Amino acid sequence: MSEARSWGRQRALCHWATPFAWLVLLLALTLGMEALEGGFRLLEPDSREIIYTRADFLVLLGRHLLMVGTAGILAIGLGVGAAIAVTRPGGRDFLPLVSQLASMGQTFPPVAVLALAVPVLGFGTVPVIVALLLYGLLPIVRNTLVGIEGIDAGVREAARGMGMTGGQILRQVELPLAAPVILAGIRTSVTINIATAAIGATVGASNLGDPIISGIVNGNTAYVVQGAVLIGLLALTVDSLFAKLMPTRG
Amino acid sequence: MIELIRVSKRFGAETAVDDISLRVEKGELCVLVGTSGCGKSTTLRMINRLIEHSDGEIHLDGQPVRTFREETLRRRIGYAIQSTGLFPHWTVARNIGLVPRLLEWPVTRIQARVEELMNLLGLPQEEFADKYPSQLSGGQAQRVGVARALAADPEILLMDEPFGALDPITRETLQEELRALQARLHKTIVFVTHDMDEALRLADRLVVMHQGRIVQQGRPIDLLRAPADAFVESLLGGEDRGLKEAALLPVSERMRPLRASQGHAQERIAQHASLREALSVMLWRHAERLIVIDEDDRPVGELSLRRLVRARDDE
Amino acid sequence: MARVTGRPNIVLLSLMLAALLAWWGLPSVSVAPNRIVSGSAYLAPEVAGVGLAALACLPMVAVMGLAWRPSRTRLAMALALVVLMLTALPLWLSLAALRLIDPTSPGARMGIGPGPWVLLFVLLLALIELRTRLGLSRRLGWGLLAVPLGSLGVCLMRWLSPLALWQEYQGRREAFESALGEHLLLVGVAVGVSLVIGVLVALAMRRWPAAQRAGFGVLNFLQTIPSIALFGLLLAPLAWLSSEVAWLAALGVSGIGWAPALLALVGYSLLPMVRNTYVALEGVDPTVIDAARGMGMSHGQVFRQVRLPLALPVILEGIRITTVQAIGLTAVAALIGAGGLGTFIFQGLGQAAMDLVLLGALPILFMALGVDAVLGALGERLRPGGTP
Repeated sequence: MSEARSWGRQRALCHWATPFAWLVLLLALTLGMEALEGGFRLLEPDSREIIYTRADFLVLLGRHLLMVGTAGILAIGLGVGAAIAVTRPGGRDFLPLVSQLASMGQTFPPVAVLALAVPVLGFGTVPVIVALLLYGLLPIVRNTLVGIEGIDAGVREAARGMGMTGGQILRQVELPLAAPVILAGIRTSVTINIATAAIGATVGASNLGDPIISGIVNGNTAYVVQGAVLIGLLALTVDSLFAKLMPTRG
Repeated sequence: MIELIRVSKRFGAETAVDDISLRVEKGELCVLVGTSGCGKSTTLRMINRLIEHSDGEIHLDGQPVRTFREETLRRRIGYAIQSTGLFPHWTVARNIGLVPRLLEWPVTRIQARVEELMNLLGLPQEEFADKYPSQLSGGQAQRVGVARALAADPEILLMDEPFGALDPITRETLQEELRALQARLHKTIVFVTHDMDEALRLADRLVVMHQGRIVQQGRPIDLLRAPADAFVESLLGGEDRGLKEAALLPVSERMRPLRASQGHAQERIAQHASLREALSVMLWRHAERLIVIDEDDRPVGELSLRRLVRARDDE
Repeated sequence: MARVTGRPNIVLLSLMLAALLAWWGLPSVSVAPNRIVSGSAYLAPEVAGVGLAALACLPMVAVMGLAWRPSRTRLAMALALVVLMLTALPLWLSLAALRLIDPTSPGARMGIGPGPWVLLFVLLLALIELRTRLGLSRRLGWGLLAVPLGSLGVCLMRWLSPLALWQEYQGRREAFESALGEHLLLVGVAVGVSLVIGVLVALAMRRWPAAQRAGFGVLNFLQTIPSIALFGLLLAPLAWLSSEVAWLAALGVSGIGWAPALLALVGYSLLPMVRNTYVALEGVDPTVIDAARGMGMSHGQVFRQVRLPLALPVILEGIRITTVQAIGLTAVAALIGAGGLGTFIFQGLGQAAMDLVLLGALPILFMALGVDAVLGALGERLRPGGTP
């Protein structure tokens, strides 16, 4: 019995190994970038400063996560909520418009959305979060719609015929069946937003994009690489986490 | 008991069901049959209010269906459909236990009921309880669908072409099983199909629908003997009707006591076999006479070709 | 199929309500004496008087009336009104320019306020809604936009010269044209190169299935890395390469500029390209292939005459996704000096010149939408056996 349990624990450990490895690497580099000064020296032999010091990498990582996380949670709430609303009898009139808007909106380049948000909302962290939220909504709405609309008509018919209420059908049938597709939408949304948030550094939101932008402005390749590596690792950590969350199909 | 009184259903300008009246007695298996688009499925779905009727009244044991809350009504009525509608993310056991759980039965009672139903429908618990619908064959899935419909022991069962997507052999097996099940459970069943052979095989009462109206209803044998019009006649298979009728009548209906002197007929037939089977045996064996035997293989009578083909009114 | 019901169309009603609110509540234009000073905002009634502003509401109210008891003809009338309003929008801005801009001060400029932008967005939504309800083809929907676009063109030529966006364009005409050229060239080359490599990789994956898992693994990995990070990471090795290899430096390869941009763009484009090509070729109905082989077609014939034509729409879909994605990513590449329209965005953000940002962002948006529409329509046309 205990053997089986420890085997199970081992398997769970293996399951989370990839995201965990990326996370460890990310944290190690965030905290110990100074240790690599010698390596970066090769890139920039002439510069006085080799390691980006205007802000702590951990703080930058935290801000990056905060921006993406806030936008992500709001986008999930609003996006899934909107998609549910337009698939209920009361909101069905809005379904064609919302689904067309969600698929058309995804052709908008994220940078353009970010750039267009600035004239309206101004510079700083909040406008970037709003832009991330707006852009992040689209894949979530779209996938939630696809997931719910894609459920076999017979299943919904049977659920109704068995006497399930609308709420029961939503909670016990529609959402669980649509969950993998919805999760894929959230994954797309978050992945794009990690990248877009970094560009947000150009409009005054401070995060892991900062070292890159300041490196480009000052011609310091070492800064650019430091920021780029951390953003890349963050993206890989989050993406591999989502990859493991995806059900393998029961 | 289900009673439809002058019921109509209109979708916009289109009339799907046109002023039909129908009474299904308690314990009766009533089959609605007709071509696609004749309104038979709509009629069925109006009974559990998946579709609301436009005119007339539908009563369940004397009470109008509109007086029930929709969900309460449906939990009282079993419902099985062609695509089974099994929830793909739930195990077989959980699927079967759906309605009892909606009715908030205690867990142990649900378990016991699920077990009972799986045995009843020939789905061994150890093998099937934890399977997912995608791991079942068509016939097995449909069995689970019927088990789910029966789970809360409803008085009434609505079945919408439940065997329509199955291969002929599985379909026939499940029809047999449904008959056997009905002989034990005595549910009030409304069954929709477009397959006339299935209808004839299952029905206590056969209701033929065409363009939203009931063209004829009655016992299968009565419809075969006296179709109301050319449409019913063609639906019943035209020249094939003789064989279909023969399929409905048991050998015991036409046999006569065994005459000891003419015991040289060698071919045998069971007394509960149909006349159609008897005819087939005669054709195949080139015999004009069959010995009729009972369950214990004892001769109880004989059937001659002349008696088999004799018109029924000169019996 | 057109679904026209007798119930009120609450979508149109809410959209027009939003339009009315935007019209009365949000500033129409802002006027500044020169480029540096931030402008002062004007509401619609302040631009042309309450009477004219109220008159402009009539079509919105009319659409609401038509949406209350919709029928096919009424929705068609509403569609005409929506197109009319879209056409009138540039005229309204022209009127504002004539009334508010002093012709004697050459530096004066007019910015478009949030009101017209919201109105434009809401009207476009109404257009989509009506197009869907009336069951009109996508192409007709785009065709309807020709009228408002024509009106915009005429207004820009004649009256809208004080428009700040237009002035930014006029001041940078040559820079804009060369940026547009660079942008298109980068996108074109990246898509072209990735198409060739992508098809070859997909064919190789079909040939050696073992390579398939690894291949998709690498491409997925690449796609996950944010563009700005990949551009940054390529900076170092390319800089090193150009300092070590003389002929590469002579070609113009360096840590910044077009080389890392193109490399990254091709890297990102490969995943959608390979995936769609592979799925397209694999996804052809096996019974069709079986029948073709059974009729005695050779392997090559089956591939060229059956598999490829049937796979073409899905491959084209891959090209569409790739191109739309590349248009956006090229904008980011401006950060590492690759040129293109992104230059204006980042310049504008640096100088807090919003109209310059728009000068970069709007064409990128239109390019993405245009490519999406054209390639989408082409895909429909190429679908073998016509659209079902």
